[in-house]
Amino acid sequence: MRLIPYLIYLLIIALHQVLLKDITTIAGVSIQVTALMVVLVAMYKPEGVVLWFGFFAGMVMVAGYQDLLGWYALLTMGLGLIAFQVCEKLNLESIKSRVLVVLGGVLLHSLIVQLIESTDGYFMNCITEAIPGALYTTVVAWLFFLVKDGHLTFRRIKSLF
Amino acid sequence: MNWISSQYARHWRNINLVLACILSLMLIFGPKVINNYVSQGILSSLYYPFFKLKRGYELLKMDAVDITDFRQALMESSVRLSIYEERIRENDRLRSALGFDPPASYKLFPTKIVSVSGTIIPSRVVVNRGASDSIAVDYSVINQQGLVGRVESVGPDFSAIQLLTDPGNRVAARVASSREMGIVKYSPTDGMTLGHFPRNGKIVVGDTIITSGLGGVYPPGLVVGIVSDVIRFEKEPFCNVSLEPIVNFRSLEELFILMQERLQ
Repeated sequence: MRLIPYLIYLLIIALHQVLLKDITTIAGVSIQVTALMVVLVAMYKPEGVVLWFGFFAGMVMVAGYQDLLGWYALLTMGLGLIAFQVCEKLNLESIKSRVLVVLGGVLLHSLIVQLIESTDGYFMNCITEAIPGALYTTVVAWLFFLVKDGHLTFRRIKSLF
Repeated sequence: MNWISSQYARHWRNINLVLACILSLMLIFGPKVINNYVSQGILSSLYYPFFKLKRGYELLKMDAVDITDFRQALMESSVRLSIYEERIRENDRLRSALGFDPPASYKLFPTKIVSVSGTIIPSRVVVNRGASDSIAVDYSVINQQGLVGRVESVGPDFSAIQLLTDPGNRVAARVASSREMGIVKYSPTDGMTLGHFPRNGKIVVGDTIITSGLGGVYPPGLVVGIVSDVIRFEKEPFCNVSLEPIVNFRSLEELFILMQERLQ
């Protein structure tokens, strides 16, 4: 197993946490990059890789909060395994199914994160942060799939103008 | 060995899962020192370059703001300078019309202290510049804080500086606000004082004392000290004015000799 790609994925999570999160946040709603990466790895990589990537991605996500390291490692690892099992049973040829897997995975992740962080005003937080965050992340994932499958290319964007 | 590898091959999924769960539980319930090491490891490896990048960007942003401020200050200063230059020219014209000597201008000559002497507080220093650098006796010596003393004697490559803390040194001075005059002196028992200052003179604690330019040694306007105490006695013609020296004589490093030039 080559480690460098996974190291780059972890670096992307760190980059998002430090630099990109502030830029990409719209009205308090941010992209759930960690959950997105874990679900994407679950779609394309074997189960053992998904398990350990989820474990490390969770730790990288909350590296600044020592008390939450274990909880997040467990959470993202579980998310990766669930996403992997779901992907095994689905036909992922169509973009729609992949987008639905991402939406489900990120939403589940966001709901549990809200529960870990604070139980006060849980439902309000779910409505104002978790669900819009999951939708925002799904839009990003949809664009990613469009580019990956060659439906969205630079030439096509250029032809629009 | 074969048995172990065959068992791992059969149960690798469960082994990995159990191992990852044990590690997670160790991070949740284990000693905090492990979490600390893990957190520090991630922050100092994966996060570090991005923290540096962010810090650099913030510094650049601050610098950009500073540069704008500096540019504005520079513009204001250059306008003010041109006004002052015009006033200098006007002053020269008026002085020549009245038959006065042209005003003196000074240039700073940097020196380094070679040795210090004095018992309780330094009272004399030797600097590494002398007659070969056109330094002469009675030139004023300052540092970035204010007046330090005067050149007492000059050798070929060194000069002895008599500091204001030397009891034999006297400085003709005045109060910056009221312009009333006195003589600054120093004694080991009383510290720095402003002598010969009239009892009814306008002086209060916190006033700045500057050189008056009288006596011909020190140019006018150099800061000597701040008034720290004023005692007025009924039957005395002068009051006792204590000063806090503006220069810290215990931490002298670089000194500047004021070299006088006559404007033509």
